[in-house]
Order: sequence, then structure tokens, then C-alpha cells
Amino acid sequence: MQNAKDTFYITLRTRLAAVNPARNITLRSVSRPGILVQDAEAPMIRPLLDAFALSWTGLQADLQLPAILAEMTCEIQYSTAGTAANAGLDRGRALEELDYEVLKLLYPYSAQKMNYTQNPAAAMETMVFWSEPEFGPIVSERDCLSRTAKVTVFAFQDQGES
Amino acid sequence: MSTSALTPLRALPPVGRTVRAYFAPVDRVHRLPTLFDPSVNGQFSLDAPPAPWIDLGWIENFVRKSTSKFGGLVTGCPSTTQYQVRETVDASVSFRFKAWSKLSMALAAGSQHMNLIVPAAGGAANGSGSKGVAPVNLAAGSTATFLALAASDAATFAAGGLVTVDVDYTAQTGFVGSGVYAAYVSSTTAVNSDPDYIRRVSFNVARVASVSDGANPGLQLAQPLIAGVPAPGMRVQPICGFVDREGGSFFQEWSALFVIPGEQGERILFHYPRLQAVSGASESTTPLVPPLERIALGAAFRALPVTDSNDGEQVVCFRSFLPSFATLV
Repeated sequence: MQNAKDTFYITLRTRLAAVNPARNITLRSVSRPGILVQDAEAPMIRPLLDAFALSWTGLQADLQLPAILAEMTCEIQYSTAGTAANAGLDRGRALEELDYEVLKLLYPYSAQKMNYTQNPAAAMETMVFWSEPEFGPIVSERDCLSRTAKVTVFAFQDQGES
Repeated sequence: MSTSALTPLRALPPVGRTVRAYFAPVDRVHRLPTLFDPSVNGQFSLDAPPAPWIDLGWIENFVRKSTSKFGGLVTGCPSTTQYQVRETVDASVSFRFKAWSKLSMALAAGSQHMNLIVPAAGGAANGSGSKGVAPVNLAAGSTATFLALAASDAATFAAGGLVTVDVDYTAQTGFVGSGVYAAYVSSTTAVNSDPDYIRRVSFNVARVASVSDGANPGLQLAQPLIAGVPAPGMRVQPICGFVDREGGSFFQEWSALFVIPGEQGERILFHYPRLQAVSGASESTTPLVPPLERIALGAAFRALPVTDSNDGEQVVCFRSFLPSFATLV
């Protein structure tokens, strides 16, 4: 299942670099596309603004198929306070831009599963595929607007995959 | 010397999760189904059924019905039923295959199930596939999992491709197909004397795992051929998928075994020596997360009779129960 999670994240990160090259974050002195996996970063008191944070929550598995079908819930959280140049008055527009990017990142709704523990990464036998996003309500806190989009990611377990 | 005493349990209700399906071919020419003997193989490993049974995995919506009819012999005034007779013996079974494969599709469709041979250039379009590329000959040394070919022929295939392996159609009539009788040819004109016809309907198909050249050129298969070691005269053609049709005059016939493993180690087995489809191709869906749906193959069969050699009775199904350890019976 970790290969599927890695594939989903890398796919979205690659797509984000193409959809909006300007959306970058700097973490540990490295500038990179503005998307991260929460369980792979140091805990943060407040979310990074204007970036996408993935967190894996639910997990189900169908064991009665020729290969195990894992069904994992990924929550994509993002927040914005708008831009300083506009005194944050554009935070609604900024959130809409993030919403739109989520749609662009997720389509097409599948990717070749890769094993990123190898270098170079190796293509596996099956595809990772996912649902369309289910957008939660806007949450307004102080000067920030936030939203969580929930996606269900599916992956068949490849032979020999741990 | 004595053994430790068993502490028996009262008979418990079986608790099972789902049903596993196994199928085996019927020898249509000699009318011989594949018989499953629960006294010999009842506790077989579910992942490794005894030959020639083929594991088709867990199935769902398993429903079996007895449709036998009973009549009463009524006498007297006022009339009362004095005896009962079985007027008909009939049974049906239906379920859904979770996984799509050559076998599950063919079983569910019930009639000829065709391989989509990679088409030759310029062939006329046809719903079940047009004229295919030329087959290649097998060389000596082929096995059920390796097809020995001339190096130049092997080079025309690629790892990951699909192949059908069977003999040319040379005016045979009757049941055709290696390993499994896949169709019935009534006349050469019915199949246009197509030399590829048997490979088109054959169950002797596999996926290519790798292509080897050099000293031992050929195709390493990812799965064994259902007909085993290729017979002389068999040839190989690439295929790209499968097709079945609503219609067709041929009825496939299979022996079937359904197993419900109980949580306490008991096992319930349903053996249908002869099943023929009573419905055409159909699918149904199970929602995952909208709009994603898992698509299953619907299958429904009628059970046909065999004679039980223990007492000469005509029966259509055997239900066996292997109790769990230590329960009273």
C-alpha cells in the first residue's frame, strides 16, 4: 500500500509542477512544489498556507479478490490567507484557485503504480486509481480560509508487494 | 496405549464468509464430466485444487435452487396422498464472478467464446474480429509454459502479449478446441473453412511473460496452457482480448465445484458435474465510491444429470459436508 501512497503523492506533485509552477514551498531549505505528505514531515502547529497537505486516514481492504484491493482515504487540506499585497481581501479567490488546482491535479484519475524505494523508480504491474474529490465546506479561522477535499485511492496489491 | 480423550462439542451452525468456485472441463465427445470425490479431495487446499479443477476465485451472490417437481399419488374417497413421486429432477445455480478472465467470461456467456486475434492488415471489419495475422509454427521442445519458436517468429511477439495456441481448422466437424471443447462445428461452410477458427475459439490461451532469443528462442508463458504440452500441429497467433455474443447455438458444458469454508474448519461443498448456461452475457455493478463501480459477470446455469455409480440414481448435484473437528454428528 505504501507504493500506492507514494505513487499518488508523486503523481500529484508532478502535475502540480505543471499546473502551477509558481506554487512552491520551502521545507528544510529546499524549494519544491507546494504539496506534502503530513506523515512524512515534522509536525506543524499551523498548516502551511497556499500548499496542499495530504493525510492518509481511512483504510479498507477487499480480500476476496484475486489480488487484495486496498481502499485508502486521502484528505487533501489546504488553507490560504490571500495575498499581502491585497491585505488578504483576495482569500476567497485564492481558495478558489486552490480548489481548481485540486481538480486539475487529480485528473486523470489513475497512474501507473511505481516503486519509489528503488532508484530509479520501477514501474509495477498495476494502476493506482482514485475517486473524484469530495470537497468539504470552507472553514474560516481568523484570517484564513481552509478546505479539505477527500479522495478515495484504490490499489491492487502486486505480487510480492509488501 | 491409549489416546487422549476427545471432548466433543455439540453440532454447531456453520459460519462462512463466501463461496469459492472451481471449474473443470467436460469431455463432450465421450460425455464424461469431471467428477469430484469429496471423500478423496474434500479438504484440498483452496489455493491449490486437484487437477484438472481450475480456481476461479471467490464469487458473490451465490444462489442455488432445487427446481425439481414432486407429485402425489392420490387414492381413496376422500382422496389422500398415499405416495410421492419425483416428476422432474432439476436444479439451477447462479452467482457473480468478481474477476474477468477468459474462463469466467466464457462460463458466464455460455456459448462460443472467441479470442480477438490480432488482425491482418486490410481485413474486413467483423464484430467478433476480422481475419488474423498469420500463425507461426511451434518448434520442438515446447512445454505447457514455453512455446519454442524459430527466432524470427519469436521476434514478432512481445512480453505482455496474449497468444492462442491450437491446431489449424482442416475441415473437422464436431467438437473442437484443445483442453476444453470450445465450439461445435456442424460443417466446414459454417466456419468458412477458416484455418484460424479453432484458435479463435480455443481456451488454450496465455499471457507471454518474456520472449527469449539466442540458443533457445521462444515465448515463456506467465501461465500454463490449459491443454498442457502443445500437440503436434498446433500453431501460435497473437490475440488482443476476448469477445462473446448474445446468441450462438453452442452450449458450453462444465463441471463445477463450489466450496464454503466454515470458520470452525468445517467445509460445505456443492458439486455439479454438468452445468450449462441458462442466460446470456450480463454484468452487474457494485458501487465503490461514486462514480467508481466494480463490474461483475453474471452467470446462471442449469444442472444436468449424471448417474451415481453407487446406486444408479440420476442426480444433478452433490452436496457434501465435512464437519469440523470434535463436533458431534
